[in-house]
Amino acid sequence: MSALGGPKQTGGVQSPTAMGIVLSIVLIIVALGLAYFLVQMAGVIALVGIIIGGVLVAFGVHFVPVGGAPAAMGQSPGIATGVAMLAAGAGLAGLFGGAWAAPFGLAVALAGGAVGGGLLMAITCTMVNVIYIFGMGIPAASGKVDKDPITGDTFPEYKSQGTEGHGLPFISWVGGVVGGALGGLGGTLIYLELLDIYQAQLPVLLNATVEQIAPVAISLAGIFAVGMFLINAVLAAYNITGTIEGPHDPKFKRFPRAIIAAAVASAVAGFFAIALLELVGVF
Amino acid sequence: MSVKIEVGAGGIPHNQVLIYGLVGSLVLIYLTYLNTYFQTQYFAFFGGLAAIAALIWGTDTIKHLCSYGLGTGVPSAGMIALGSGVVAALFGATTGIFAPIVTIIIAAIIGAVAGLMANHVVRMDIPVMIVSLIELAIVGAMTVLGLATMACGTFEFLGMITGTVSFLGFTVQTYETSVIGGSIIAVIFMLGAIAIQHSFNACLGPGEQQDRTLMLAAECGFLSMIAVAIISFAFIGTYAAFIALVISIIGWLYTYTKYIALSKRDAYAWLDAQPIMEPKGGA
Repeated sequence: MSALGGPKQTGGVQSPTAMGIVLSIVLIIVALGLAYFLVQMAGVIALVGIIIGGVLVAFGVHFVPVGGAPAAMGQSPGIATGVAMLAAGAGLAGLFGGAWAAPFGLAVALAGGAVGGGLLMAITCTMVNVIYIFGMGIPAASGKVDKDPITGDTFPEYKSQGTEGHGLPFISWVGGVVGGALGGLGGTLIYLELLDIYQAQLPVLLNATVEQIAPVAISLAGIFAVGMFLINAVLAAYNITGTIEGPHDPKFKRFPRAIIAAAVASAVAGFFAIALLELVGVF
Repeated sequence: MSVKIEVGAGGIPHNQVLIYGLVGSLVLIYLTYLNTYFQTQYFAFFGGLAAIAALIWGTDTIKHLCSYGLGTGVPSAGMIALGSGVVAALFGATTGIFAPIVTIIIAAIIGAVAGLMANHVVRMDIPVMIVSLIELAIVGAMTVLGLATMACGTFEFLGMITGTVSFLGFTVQTYETSVIGGSIIAVIFMLGAIAIQHSFNACLGPGEQQDRTLMLAAECGFLSMIAVAIISFAFIGTYAAFIALVISIIGWLYTYTKYIALSKRDAYAWLDAQPIMEPKGGA
């Protein structure tokens, strides 16, 4: 750990400070109030959708098995890259799936987003294991638990000495797919809520038809969904600090903190996205 | 996986870089307003220069933040910067001539919320976290706004969503051929993200020198500027875009040679390896 300070290495989970909790509640209420003031009930509904989407993204990130640099050397389990990169990959794949299915209604679009994100993670996890097992010649073994909670496979006899485990056990694979699906679902929800707002406001503002403003509305909703997705994914990554093996990892229990942080960050960023068109033409 | 990242001491103090970056990017982005004033498009390239001023400042901020060992990799800081920045930049753009100032204020709000969440809810407990995330959000916002301005010649929202297309000699106004309607904003987002996250990630470690890292930041910025200059041929006049392209290429060549010279200065030894020559007529 850095000599300059930084997170303290404690055994348990540090709970949020009282100031953090109070600030979170106040900021969410203020954002919802301002959304009601500017865009009435539609704004509140959209902002609630965005907050739920952001929370799903942050929660989903905790499922994804992230190995970081040690995993690239086969010294820790997981996929060999950072949390933010993996989450962005899964979430954006989900977002593309969901955006493509948007004209088919909310349920189909959300399912499309979840399937897109889950599919990307399923392919990534499978190919990671193919490379680990057939390319690097190492078996999948977790360092955090002795037995796979799903298959019941035991790990200690396969784990190399001096490592934290290696490869991608089945529970991590399942975690990756669940995380990708949740991330895709959350990203798509943010996109759809924003798209509804812009498709209602832009035609009035620009005196054009819905078809004419469609490129602008889709592009704005898409880029904001990507932006908010990354804010939530990075806050979740800060919560994990480094590597996580999946839902069986002790670090998974930290997720409530990330959910609070993601809800507040989505509420504030989401408010500005919803209020985007209120100032056009004022100045 | 928290690893302490070595950063070199010395160089220009961070606060000085902050002031240069903030004032520099603000002044440079306002110089693009000469376009509106003189009814031309030749000053669009100042937007790209504003983005570079912001990127240099942002790289120094990332260096300070990441010296605490985030455990999530350097790129995550770049992703949260651009994620919060894009929301602030597009919201700010709707306020006409006040766009750059409003962008800075909104980015500071979103960055402060993300920083407070990271320190008080997620409990990173890093002393510079809040200030760094505020700075990074402003950097991300100024980068997006600067590059978008460079692509379309104006930082006003209506200019970003409307474009013209010539059809059978008639000029028709359309929303599809615009920076936002054509989703060019997504490309700009990624060009900015790559530029901000690469430099420190590439230069960190023992023997890191501030001037070399910041020179690489400027080089990455000019590289992104070349891409945006090529994109801008679609939105602004050919001569204006050509001027932007020439300036980007000259800037890139200059910073690249300087960066290579600085790398050779800091290297223990270097070998100017030549390609292996094939003997004529076969071996």
